Amino acid sequence: MWLNPIVKKDVKVQSRSMKICWGVFAYELILALVFFLAMVIIQQESRYSLDNIYSSMVWLYPVLAVTQIVILGVVVPVRTASSISGEKERQTFDIMMTTSMTPFSIIAGKVTTAIVQSMLFVLASMPVMALSFIIGGMSWAYLFWFLGMAFLVSFFAASIGILCSALCKKSISAVIMSYGFYLVFFIVTILPLIIYEIIEVSVYSSVQTNSISEWLSLFLLLNPIMYVVEFFAHVMAGESVAAAMLDSLSATQSQGVLHFIASGYVWLIVSTILFLVVSVLFLYLAAKRINPVGRHKK
Amino acid sequence: MLQIDHLYKNYGKFRAVNDLSLHIPKGDLFGFVGPNGAGKTTTIRMVCGLMLPSAGTIVINGVNVSTCQREIKKQIGYVPDFFGVYDNLKVREYMDFYGSMYRMNSREIARISEDLLELVNLSDKKEAFVDTLSRGMKQRLCVARALIHNPALLVLDEPNSGLDPRARVEMKELLLNLKGMGKTIVISSHILSELSEMCNSIGIMDHGNLVASGSIEDVMEGVLGSNQLIITLDEGHETAVRIVNEHAKVKLDSVGEHELKLSHNMTKQEIAKMIGMMIENDVVVTGFHKQEGNLETLFMRVTGDSEAQEGGKEHVAESNC
Repeated sequence: MWLNPIVKKDVKVQSRSMKICWGVFAYELILALVFFLAMVIIQQESRYSLDNIYSSMVWLYPVLAVTQIVILGVVVPVRTASSISGEKERQTFDIMMTTSMTPFSIIAGKVTTAIVQSMLFVLASMPVMALSFIIGGMSWAYLFWFLGMAFLVSFFAASIGILCSALCKKSISAVIMSYGFYLVFFIVTILPLIIYEIIEVSVYSSVQTNSISEWLSLFLLLNPIMYVVEFFAHVMAGESVAAAMLDSLSATQSQGVLHFIASGYVWLIVSTILFLVVSVLFLYLAAKRINPVGRHKK
Repeated sequence: MLQIDHLYKNYGKFRAVNDLSLHIPKGDLFGFVGPNGAGKTTTIRMVCGLMLPSAGTIVINGVNVSTCQREIKKQIGYVPDFFGVYDNLKVREYMDFYGSMYRMNSREIARISEDLLELVNLSDKKEAFVDTLSRGMKQRLCVARALIHNPALLVLDEPNSGLDPRARVEMKELLLNLKGMGKTIVISSHILSELSEMCNSIGIMDHGNLVASGSIEDVMEGVLGSNQLIITLDEGHETAVRIVNEHAKVKLDSVGEHELKLSHNMTKQEIAKMIGMMIENDVVVTGFHKQEGNLETLFMRVTGDSEAQEGGKEHVAESNC
């Protein structure tokens, strides 16, 4: 079986470095701290409640899962942002480009390395995650849901990091640009809805319910926060935040496409597909950018 | 082997390479010479497919670089001017990595690596980490890496920069070995004495133009002033300078207290005639000797022509006053 040589080399080089050990250690430490903090809070809360403490323990799962997703979301772009620009800084990039590797196989190698690394972190966190499963009484399905989500977050974050790495000469500029991209996804996707609602409030003195708000809310399909919230609302409570939001924005029950998107798991599925499409698009642009022929052709 | 026709490269309004045409036959060791910013690296990058030309064609072994990128990568081994290393990678793994990049199988890589490491005298360093090697060793390893897929053309951009004298000698021997094996090599360098010892042909670039190219002997012969004549004299400087300046095949390089340095392409008879004319005009010539041109003088002559001329004239003017 032909294994992308970049993955083989990068994994080998990184696994020999102490950085990866310290990285895993820091990751585990943060999770352990969050776990104990959550335990203490749950215990304090249950002291004044009639509920059984074990029924609250189920919340350890989303707390740990969200913590990991946030860490991955923050760390993966930093690591991938130096993947291409790091090769340029080391002056190994030109050599790489004179080999038989295509720009896309180089990019694919880099993104696979990033995902392998993320999954190493996630797998290393399993003992801590297992505690929430033992105490919280969760099923195996939740674990696979979480692994799927971690994979998607890693892929999306890696594609942003690699695109920025291909665009910038310096790793530091690529890291800054990656967080800039994140900001765009966090803010720009929610901005049209907020602006529209503000204008409505200033004109009608109250939020009006109409179809424009509903359609603008579809931008939230590409909002990472909305995705995480929707995911855990489904997993933990079997509810859809997106459906509730669309209901509150529409005067009548949502019809047609909107009704379909808000039903069941459709919002999550559509959102997942969109994130995957955007990630692949970013990787395609990165490959095009590093290709000397593609870049200069007029 | 390598055919370049009317090659141009523009960066906005700046023209880095201007109408460069060149032919390098199979088995040649071709030296690219030129001052910084002359366009050598740009040309090399275009030859390696790392950059597209603005106009013109580059054909290697019948394959057009601009249109057949995938095919051309198999034909070229590229050694850049800076050796980048991956920390925590052993010499064997380094070769293995680049071999896999050419989709070679591990058995093939192991066999060829063994031979190449022996060729570059690094067999005993197979299990050493690359970042522990000396700069000279790294550069030799880089050459071995560039040869892993048995390319038809080996391109080296300033391979000797930053190397100590011993490492330079080793690199020179290695390249001569490869030349002996029939490899076609293009090398750019500032170390002209070494180039003249290794290369059978050269190309001199200046401001994006290929100002001279061909075998070293041909280029020497073709370029005015590649041979130097030093005339020592006691009296009659002004007259001697006048006679020199009147001669079409002579260029006055400098005027010293007791000597004139000339660049020329005169025959022996013409030299004798000019000296005779000086003596007839009461110039006290105490001696003269012919200095054979070398690559340094040729390079200075071709690339620094205008500056040298201006400097020379000022010098003469001062002497006359």
